Amino acid sequence: MSLFWIVIRQLAEIEAMAMSKKVITREEWEKKLNDVKIRKEDMNKLVMNFLVTEGYVDAAEKFRMESGTEPDIDLATITDRMAVKKAVQCGNVEDAIEKVNDLNPEILDTNPQLFFHLQQQRLIELIRNGKVEEALEFAQEELAPRGEENQSFLEELERTVALLAFEDVSNCPVGDLLDISQRLKTASEVNAAILTSQSHEKDPKLPSLLKMLLWAQNQLDEKAAYPRINDLATATLEDPAI
Amino acid sequence: MPTTTASAAGTTVGNNILLRLTSGERDVKLKALRELKNQIIGNRTKKLSFLKLGAVPAVAGILSDAVSAVDVADDDENDRIVKDIIVQSAAVLGSFACGFEAGVRAVLDAGAFPNLSRLLSYTDENFKIGDFGDILIQRGCLVEEMLLHKSYMEVVDAGARSLKMIYQSKMAPKYDFLQEENMEFLLSLLNNESENVSGLGASIISHSCKTSLEQKLLFDAGVLKRLTSLLGGSLIQRDASLESIATIFKNNPEVVSKFVGPDTGRTLSCIIDLVKDRFARTRLLASLCLIVIRNASACYLQDVGIKTKLINNLLELLDDPGQVGDEASFAFSSLIAEKEDMQKLAFEVNGIDKLYNHLQKGSLHPRRFEGILLALADMCSKLECCRSRCLSLQVLNLVVDALAHDSSDVRSAACMCLRSVSRSIKNLSAGSFMNETIVIPLVRLLDDTSTAVQKVMGQTISNSFDWPRSVVFGWEAKCILASGCNLRGSSMPISVAALGAISNIVVDFTTRRSTFIRLGGVKLLVQLLKSMDSTIRLNALWALRNLIFLAEDKCKEEIFMELTASLLASLICDPEPSVQEQALALVRNLVDGRINSVEYIFAEDGIILDAVGRQLRIASKAEIEIQGMYVLSNVATGKESHKEAVMDQLLLHAENKAQSCIIKFLQSNDSRLRTAAVWAVLNLTCSSSPGASGRLVELRDAGIVSHVKNMVNDPCLDVKLRVRTALGQFTSFDDSLILCIFSPAASNNKASTSCLQFLTVRAVGELSHVVDPSSKQAADSL
Repeated sequence: MSLFWIVIRQLAEIEAMAMSKKVITREEWEKKLNDVKIRKEDMNKLVMNFLVTEGYVDAAEKFRMESGTEPDIDLATITDRMAVKKAVQCGNVEDAIEKVNDLNPEILDTNPQLFFHLQQQRLIELIRNGKVEEALEFAQEELAPRGEENQSFLEELERTVALLAFEDVSNCPVGDLLDISQRLKTASEVNAAILTSQSHEKDPKLPSLLKMLLWAQNQLDEKAAYPRINDLATATLEDPAI
Repeated sequence: MPTTTASAAGTTVGNNILLRLTSGERDVKLKALRELKNQIIGNRTKKLSFLKLGAVPAVAGILSDAVSAVDVADDDENDRIVKDIIVQSAAVLGSFACGFEAGVRAVLDAGAFPNLSRLLSYTDENFKIGDFGDILIQRGCLVEEMLLHKSYMEVVDAGARSLKMIYQSKMAPKYDFLQEENMEFLLSLLNNESENVSGLGASIISHSCKTSLEQKLLFDAGVLKRLTSLLGGSLIQRDASLESIATIFKNNPEVVSKFVGPDTGRTLSCIIDLVKDRFARTRLLASLCLIVIRNASACYLQDVGIKTKLINNLLELLDDPGQVGDEASFAFSSLIAEKEDMQKLAFEVNGIDKLYNHLQKGSLHPRRFEGILLALADMCSKLECCRSRCLSLQVLNLVVDALAHDSSDVRSAACMCLRSVSRSIKNLSAGSFMNETIVIPLVRLLDDTSTAVQKVMGQTISNSFDWPRSVVFGWEAKCILASGCNLRGSSMPISVAALGAISNIVVDFTTRRSTFIRLGGVKLLVQLLKSMDSTIRLNALWALRNLIFLAEDKCKEEIFMELTASLLASLICDPEPSVQEQALALVRNLVDGRINSVEYIFAEDGIILDAVGRQLRIASKAEIEIQGMYVLSNVATGKESHKEAVMDQLLLHAENKAQSCIIKFLQSNDSRLRTAAVWAVLNLTCSSSPGASGRLVELRDAGIVSHVKNMVNDPCLDVKLRVRTALGQFTSFDDSLILCIFSPAASNNKASTSCLQFLTVRAVGELSHVVDPSSKQAADSL
C-alpha cells in the first residue's frame, strides 16, 4: 500500500473522530438487540390491547383462543362500543346517542364537548339530506343553547350553519364538514369517551411505542451511525451509511 | 319569531312524552321513559323545560311503583319489564341531578332518594352479588341465570349512578357516619365489585365527611385501607378513592400523622406515582391528596423533588381545556398560599410567566379566569420577585380588565391579585399604580352590589393583620372623588370592601386628605363606625386610622369634629377586641405629633383618656395593651398637665399601686409590650420638663423604677436600649443635666441618639402596621 493511501485513511479516521459519531455495525447492533429480552406474553398483551382498543372484536376473540391472552375488558362491551361507532360512521347519529345513553348515561351528561359534537353531526346529516327546515329548527332548539353556554361551540355552530348558505355545498369553504372524515372524527371521539368511561385507555399502546421508536432513532442519529429501521411495516434493519 | 315556534314545538313534544309516562301500558311507559332520558342527557335547557313540566315527580312516582312491583312480579316477562322501568327511571332521575342543582332539588323533593337507595340493597338482601356470581360460575350455571344476575347488576348500577350524581351536589342529604350500621353499609359499598357502587361509597365520603370526628371515625373503621386498595382498581375507582382520601385528610393533622408512618410508605408512593398518571384528572386528584397531606404539617413531603413535581404538574394541568384545567389553578393556590418556600419554588419554575400565558389567551371561562387570578394573587402575596415579574410582564393590564368582568368572582379575584401585586413597596413608592386605567375600573367597583365582592371584604378582614392596608388613602380619596361620593345606602359595606381591597395601591401620606374630607368621605366612614357589623366598624376604623396617620393639624381637626370624643370612647370599649385595638391605634395616631394634637384626648372631660386607662386595666390581649400604652406614651410627650393625667391613669386609678398595670406590662412576655411600657416611663421622666423629678419619685414609690432597673439586661435589644436610656435619664437628675428628647436643639448630647431612635422606631412602627408584616418584623428588631 502506498503511503498516499495510508495518509488518506488516517485523514478519514481523524475526520470521523472529529464528527465524533460512533459507528455501530450490523453485527454489533444485532448482538445488542439479542441481549434485550422481551417476554412473549408482553408482546401478546400489546397486540390484544390494540385489537380491543380499535374494536376488532372477532380478531380479539380468535387471538384470545390462540394465544391465551386475556383481554383486560369484557369483549361484549366492545360489541356495544362498535355499534355506536358504526352508527356515527353511517350517519345515524340519533341512534348512536341512544346507544351511548343505554350503555352509560353519564358519558354524554358529563362530556359537553362530545355531546355538542354529536349534535353538530346530527345537524350536518340533516343538511346533507337536504332537510333544511328540520335542520334550522334543530339548530335553534338543540344547538343554539349550547352555543350560548360556550364560545367555541358557538363558533363551530356558526360554521356548520354556514353550510345552509351555499348552493353547492361540496365546493364551499366549510364543505369539509360534509366529508366522511368529519364522521370518522366524531366517531373516534365517541369511541374514546366510551373507552375512558370503561376505565380503558382511549388510544392503543402500539402506535405510541412506534412513535417512541422514531423519536429514539432521531435522538440516536445525532450521536451514532447504526442500522436504522426506516420502513416500519417491515422493520428491516438498514446498514449504517458511513 | 322562529324561537317561539321552536320552543312551542319543544313543549308539545314534552307534553306528549309526559302524557305517555302516565300510560297504563308498561311498554308505552318504558318507551316514554327512554325517550325522556335521551332528550335530557347532556342538555341543560331540556332538563329545565321538563322540570317545569313536572317530569321529575312523575318519574319518581313511576320508580316508586316499580320498586314495589318488583317483589310481586308474577312471571319472568313482567319481571324484565319492571326492571327495565326501574333502570330507565333511575337513569332519568340521575340525569336530572347531573350538574343541575334545580334538578337535584326536584329529585329530592319528589322523594326519590329512598327508592334509589333501595335499589342498592338488592345486593344485600336478595343477592350477594360478589358471591352469587362466583357460585354461578363454579356450578357451571345456566346462561339464563347469568343473565338474571346481569339484570340485577344493571338495577344496582343504575341506582348507584343516580345516587352518585345526587351526592355530587351540596344539596344531597348528609350521610350520618356516627351510626354504626351506616358505617357498615358504607364499607359494604366500598367493598362492592361494581365500580359504580364503590364509586358511590367514595362520593358519599367526599360529600358528607366534614368534621374531624367523622374523619377519625372513617379512619378507625378502616375505610382508608379499603380506599387505598381501590387505588389499584379501575380509573373510576382510583379517582373516586383519591378524592375521598383527600377528604379524610383535609385539615386533620391527627389522621394524617396516623397515616404517614413506616407502613404506609407504599400508599404514599403510590399516590406520588399517580401525580405522573396518564389521565389529567387523576394527576389533579393525586396532587390534591398530597397537598392536603402537606398542608396538615410542614414536616411531610419535605423533599424538594416532590414539591417541584407538584408545582410543575399543576402548572402543566392548566393546559387541560376542561374542568381539570379550571380546577388546577385552585389546587396550585392551596399548595402555595401562605408558604413562602413554595412560592419561591413556583417562581423558579417560571410560575408567573406560565400563569400569565394563560391569562393572555383571553376569552377564558370565568372559573378558570378566577383561578388564575387567585394563583397570581397567592404567588405575589409575599415575594417581591414575583411582584416585579408581574409588573415587568404588564400582567396588571389584564388584571385591570378583569375588574370589569361580568362575573363577580372574577372581579373579586382581580381585586385580590391587584392587592397582592401592589404590596410592592418599591413600586408603590415609585407610583407605578398611579394611573387612570387602574383607577376607573376600581371606582366602578365601589358601586358593586354583588355578594362575591362582599366576600372579598370578608377575606380582606380576616387577613387584615397580614396585608398592608390603606397606607394609601390618597388612592381611596381619588376613588371617592371619581365616584362622586357615591357610597350610599345598602351598598355601603360593599363599597368599603372595594376600598379595602384596593387600598394599598398608592402610598400617599400627605396629599388628597383634604379632598377626601371635603367630599364627605370621613362622614361616610364615621357612619360606618356605627354599624352593627363589627367587621365593618373595624374596616372603617382602619381607614380612618390611616387617614389620620401623620396628617396635618387642620386635617386632624376636621376628622375629630366628625368623629367626636364620645364615639371614639365607645369604640375603645367596643365588645369586639379587634375593634378596641383599632380604635386605640387610631387614638395613638391622633395624639401623635404636635402638642395641640394631644389636646384631643382631653375633650369632653377626658372621656377618651379614661376609656384608654380603663381598657389598659382590663384588657387581655397584648395587641390592645400595646396600642393603649403607645397612646399614653404619646400623651406623655405633651405638656405638664398631660403628663400628670397619664400618671393619674397609671397610678391613681389602680386599685393597688403595687399592681399598676404598667408593672404587669414591664413583666410581660411580649417584648413589644415591654417596649411600649418603657417608652411611657421614658416620656414621663423626660428631664426637660419641670415636674419630671416629682414624677420620678412617684414612679419610684410605685415600684416602677426598680422594675425598669431590673430590665437592664432584657433579652430584647429594643427594650434593653430603651431601658438604658431611661436609666440614664434617672441619673441625670442628680447630675442636673437637662436632656430634651424631643428638642432638636439638644442634638449634641447622648439623648439625641435615642431621640432619633425614638422617632425612627415610632414612625416605622406605625408604618409597619399598614405596610407589610415582613417590614413589621424588621421594625421590631430595629
